[in-house]
Amino acid sequence: MTDVSCQIGVELLMDYLEGVVPDDMRTILESHVAGCPKCTAFVASYLATPRILREATAGTMPPELQKSLLAFLRAQRGDGRR
Amino acid sequence: MAVSDEATDEALASRAALGDNHAFDEIAIRYQARVYRLACRLVGPNDAPDVVQEGFLSVYRNLASFRQESRFGTWLYRIVTNAALMHRRARTRRPAESLEAFLPEFDAAGRHCQTPAELQIAERADELLDRRVLAEAATAALDRLPDLYRSAFVLRDLEELTTAEVADVLGVEPATVRQRVHRARLMLRGYLCALAGVRP
Repeated sequence: MTDVSCQIGVELLMDYLEGVVPDDMRTILESHVAGCPKCTAFVASYLATPRILREATAGTMPPELQKSLLAFLRAQRGDGRR
Repeated sequence: MAVSDEATDEALASRAALGDNHAFDEIAIRYQARVYRLACRLVGPNDAPDVVQEGFLSVYRNLASFRQESRFGTWLYRIVTNAALMHRRARTRRPAESLEAFLPEFDAAGRHCQTPAELQIAERADELLDRRVLAEAATAALDRLPDLYRSAFVLRDLEELTTAEVADVLGVEPATVRQRVHRARLMLRGYLCALAGVRP
């Protein structure tokens, strides 16, 4: 095999990124993407997706919740009752 | 007993398991922000406070079962993730609309159906969309992922655990983690395309 379709490339993309595809397939995939503007664009957006979701959902814990958590845990343990 | 800044998580867990409540407080302080963020991503911000409490309480009650065979953080993530899954299952809620429609499309020869510009648009979703709109859409999108995909994606890509650590947390093989994370990425990528005005 000397080339794969875009669809096969997409199916193997995660395994490729994690380094678990065989060397010969790795070479074929790299060659395909290098010559396919559509796959080049797809890979860029695939790689960006985790970062965008991570940044969009990086909420911080409200200070009042931090206080109430410790109070809740201490109450559950029965701190101060001994 | 004073808790040293240098104490490892595992040392704190050992002391907490023997009844040192200050050590457990230190664990809670160290991990509360991460656990809250994890809970928000797994169940949404409205239910996150309950999951944080349930998760830490479960950690406390199960300290004796921590065998130090994995890192304490990985073990804690497992307990909190399970608490989040149980919380979701306990809720009576409408089934989320599937994100299957956002998977990439190919023609009969297996070629992408869209132009390179269309395919790349998800990469710029954070430039094209208002920050608050994107944050709300991202939370809604995570909620619409199937449970199995959500937990794998959140742990691997948002909390940035390694694939091996996620496999440990979820009790599955690394190959299963890769498959679930991949499906989630494909759906979410398509969803970002749609948000930016392009069909997936």
